Amino acid sequence: MDKKLKETILNPILKGNPITVLVLGICSSLAVTVQLKGALVMAISVTLVTGLSSLVCSLLRNTIPMRVRIIVQLVVVALMVILVDQILKAGEGTYAIDKQLSVYIGLIITNCIVMGRIEAFALGNKPLPSLLDGLANGVGYGLILVIVAFFRELFGSGTLFGLQVLPAGYIPNNLVILPPFALILLGCIIWVQRAFDKDLQEK
Amino acid sequence: MEYISLFVKSIFVDNMIFAYFLGMCSYLAVSKNVKTANGLGLAVIFVLLFTLPINWLLNTYVLQPGALKWLGPQFADVDLSFLSFIIFIAVIAAFVQIVEMFVEKFLPSLYSSLGIFLPLIAVNCSILGGSLFMQQRDFTSFGESAVYALGSGIGWYLAIVALAAIREKMAYCNVPKPLKGIGITFITVGLMGMAFMIFMGIQL
Amino acid sequence: MNTNSNVYTVVYTTVIVVIVAAVLAFVAGKLGPAQNANAKAETLRQMMSAAGIKPTEELYSTKNAGILQLYADNIEEAYTIGLDGQKNGELTTDKDNIQLVDKLKPQNKAIKAGGDATLPVYIFKSGVIVIPVYGAGLWGPIWGYIAFEPDCRTIAGAYFDHESETPGLGAKIKDEAWFREKFAGKVVEWGATPAFRLEKNAEATGAANAVDAITGATMTSKGLNDAMNVWFKAYEDHLGLASAMHAIAEPETNKAEEE
Repeated sequence: MDKKLKETILNPILKGNPITVLVLGICSSLAVTVQLKGALVMAISVTLVTGLSSLVCSLLRNTIPMRVRIIVQLVVVALMVILVDQILKAGEGTYAIDKQLSVYIGLIITNCIVMGRIEAFALGNKPLPSLLDGLANGVGYGLILVIVAFFRELFGSGTLFGLQVLPAGYIPNNLVILPPFALILLGCIIWVQRAFDKDLQEK
Repeated sequence: MEYISLFVKSIFVDNMIFAYFLGMCSYLAVSKNVKTANGLGLAVIFVLLFTLPINWLLNTYVLQPGALKWLGPQFADVDLSFLSFIIFIAVIAAFVQIVEMFVEKFLPSLYSSLGIFLPLIAVNCSILGGSLFMQQRDFTSFGESAVYALGSGIGWYLAIVALAAIREKMAYCNVPKPLKGIGITFITVGLMGMAFMIFMGIQL
Repeated sequence: MNTNSNVYTVVYTTVIVVIVAAVLAFVAGKLGPAQNANAKAETLRQMMSAAGIKPTEELYSTKNAGILQLYADNIEEAYTIGLDGQKNGELTTDKDNIQLVDKLKPQNKAIKAGGDATLPVYIFKSGVIVIPVYGAGLWGPIWGYIAFEPDCRTIAGAYFDHESETPGLGAKIKDEAWFREKFAGKVVEWGATPAFRLEKNAEATGAANAVDAITGATMTSKGLNDAMNVWFKAYEDHLGLASAMHAIAEPETNKAEEE
């Protein structure tokens, strides 16, 4: 059992990475990887949301009618995201945080990773493994996000976390900022990963 | 005339895939051959065409601030827009589920070719994205929202069929082993996206 | 129990929907006043940042109560105008009862439909006049506050905000101080179409009413450009007239600007 739990946690980070292997959650990885900071905020939010919604759906799994399961899952995910948003908005100190986060809220609800993990794992497993599976998938997703954002911010703006890294004479490459480049970069990351891990190669 | 311009614009200029990169997950996963791409594309057009006008009605008469005026003057200040995310997504998921049940029962042959794609569509960001764009752009009439839905559906359909055709041809190409399959597809879509940027500045 | 029967499915869905709607309505109702207070203070911060009352960072480190006080201390007069440029209402500026027109979306609709609009004008004691602009960006609404010098023509400062533009691209209209600082000193050409231009390579033309669009954020820049021009048009009869009258009253300063 312990070994299985370990597998649940480690698998999504490399061998079963949600972006490069399962090809889920691509839309948001294109939208938020222009800056490292944005990518990191998104990674943390998605990790929490996948973990929590997997947990809730796993608790509900024996009561959900099969035919309407997708509606129920979506409603659970959307409810949690909106609740967090509303509560953050009401606190005087947390209002500024919410303003930063509100950009990602729509992207989190439609992120296929959340739904994909509920469908594929949480509905057939106990709450604890589901929680861990959700969190680990969030981490695997965040890892790729941060790698892509690193290159895009470095070459697109010459900065990292907003701090100037490349010498001032560097002219930022605007192509890197545009979404198509994120796709090409993702293609290259997959190339590197599959060059090392021959099992993942397609025939 | 306005409808024609909106229609053309939503197919090419505001293409769901290449201008907004919405609905990427199923776009990449189901574009291995033209036949299945065709099926998913048609299903997307169909679902968009129904859910977007339904959501327009809900937005206009229930959700937006002051929308409940028709119930009586005391409701003029009610603002339910905080519910829009959840309502839109519920309408989409419910519609998909109803269609799935209906098709399974009455058109079994269509179900066997289209059925597997229907659950995929509920989580397709381009469907929810369409409804959110509709809300944001304040479409003034029911017709406008229907034309927009048809246009963006066709845009999505064209994009996925085009990619599927390229991928079918690519089967004969000598792609480096680790890049084969999804890797080269990402790069292809990136290049297609760059090509589509020529439409961006067009005024219609 | 058979979880696939029709009755169960219908009952289950109904229960879930009712619970979710109740939770959301309860939360929205309970937290509403606190959220509105935060939103009001946020609007005031953005206006005062544009008007240059205090540096933006300082405004954002001040608590809500302090912001209300600061606004009450600095505001001279606030009123609303209609699309004909005539004053059609007063906004109170008392600290405990500050009235703002911060729901800009219905006003934007009114401008486009040509209906009854109540467009706010805020005049600060320093003589600076602040008006809002509002429009659609790439993903959601974008808006901003433009502050004019007493000549009603030269821009003194600007602040922009957005709901959900892409971080690092469209979001630069808010995040990058250099972008909003570019607006200071530019002028709005009342009566011209367009009155202001936010376009690619616009600065290279040397025009006084042009600012470069943000690279990579075509849709957001275009949205902001449209928002500014639509709203400037709505204020034309009011501010444009005031600007012309100012030019007659003080011809020298105007000449100095032209040189």
